[in-house]
Amino acid sequence: MNVEEHTHHPTPAQYWKIAVVLGVLTAIEVAMYYINDAYNLGALNAVLLIILAGLKFVIVVGFYMHLRYEKPTLNRFFTAGFILAMALYTVVLTAMGVIAIRGA
Amino acid sequence: MADLAHEMDLGHPEHESTGIDNRKLGMWAFLSSEFLFFGALISNYLLYSNRAGFTGVYPSEIYDIPFTSVSSFVLLMSSLTMVLAHNALSRGDQGGTRTWLFATAALGAVFLGGQVFEFTEFITLYDMKLTTNPAASAFYLLTGFHGTHVAIGVIMLLSLWGISRRQGELSEKHGMNLELVGLYWHFVDIIWIVIFTVVYLLSVPPA
Repeated sequence: MNVEEHTHHPTPAQYWKIAVVLGVLTAIEVAMYYINDAYNLGALNAVLLIILAGLKFVIVVGFYMHLRYEKPTLNRFFTAGFILAMALYTVVLTAMGVIAIRGA
Repeated sequence: MADLAHEMDLGHPEHESTGIDNRKLGMWAFLSSEFLFFGALISNYLLYSNRAGFTGVYPSEIYDIPFTSVSSFVLLMSSLTMVLAHNALSRGDQGGTRTWLFATAALGAVFLGGQVFEFTEFITLYDMKLTTNPAASAFYLLTGFHGTHVAIGVIMLLSLWGISRRQGELSEKHGMNLELVGLYWHFVDIIWIVIFTVVYLLSVPPA
C-alpha cells in the first residue's frame, strides 16, 4: 500500500509523544486562564496564550498534516498564504480598533 | 477489491506537474480558502464580542471553561487517532486503520455532543439565542460553522470506515481519500485551537 509514503514520517510512538506535548500545552493554556483570573496579567496573558496556540498550530500542521515532510513548494504555498491572511486580518482588526481595544 | 479501471490508475498517480499530487494540492488550496473564511468569522466575533451597549447576555459572561477545555482536548486527541489511521494504512494494517478511523469519528461525535450541550445550556439557562445581540450571533455563527465542519468530517470518516468494512480493505484510491480526509480533519482541529484561545480564553465581557 502506497499512501504517499514518506520514509521520514514520524512513527506511531512519536505521534503519541506529539499528542502528549499538545495535551500539556492545552493544560498550560487553561492554567494561564485561571492564573490571569487570579493575578490579572493583562496583555502578557494574551501574548502568552497566542504563543501557546501558535505552537499547537505549528505542531499539528507540521507533524500531523505532514507539512514539514512535504515538498518545499507546498510548504511555501501554505506558509506564504497563511502569513498574507494573518497580515490582512491584523490590518483589518487594527483599522477597526479591535486589536488596540483588546490590548488595552 | 478495486476494478480494472481503478487498477490502471494505481500506477499513475494523478497528474503531478508541480511535483505534488493534484488532489492533495487542491485540498491544501481549499483549506487555505477555509482559513480565510474562518478568519472572517473570527474577526467578526472580535468586532462584536465585547462591544458595550447590547441587550442580553454576552457569550463571554457564560463560558464554561472547564467543559470547553475537555471538549478541546477531545478534538485534539482526534487528530492523534486520525494520523494513526493514516499511519496504519501506510503500513498495510487494514484492521488498525478501521479502528483508528472509527475512534476519530467517535471523538468527533463526542465533541459535537459537547457543542450541542453547550448551545442548549446557553439557550435554556441564559436565554442567549442567535438573535439576542450581535455578540451572540457572532459566537453562534463562528462555533456553529465550525461544528458543521466537524459534522461533515465525521460523515466522511464514517464513510471511509464503512467502505473499509464492506470491502475488507481500503484500496490505494481510498488511501488517498483517507489522506485528504485526514488533512481536512486536522484543519478542523487547528481552527478549533485558534477558536479556543481567541474566543474562549481571551474573551472578556465589556467593561
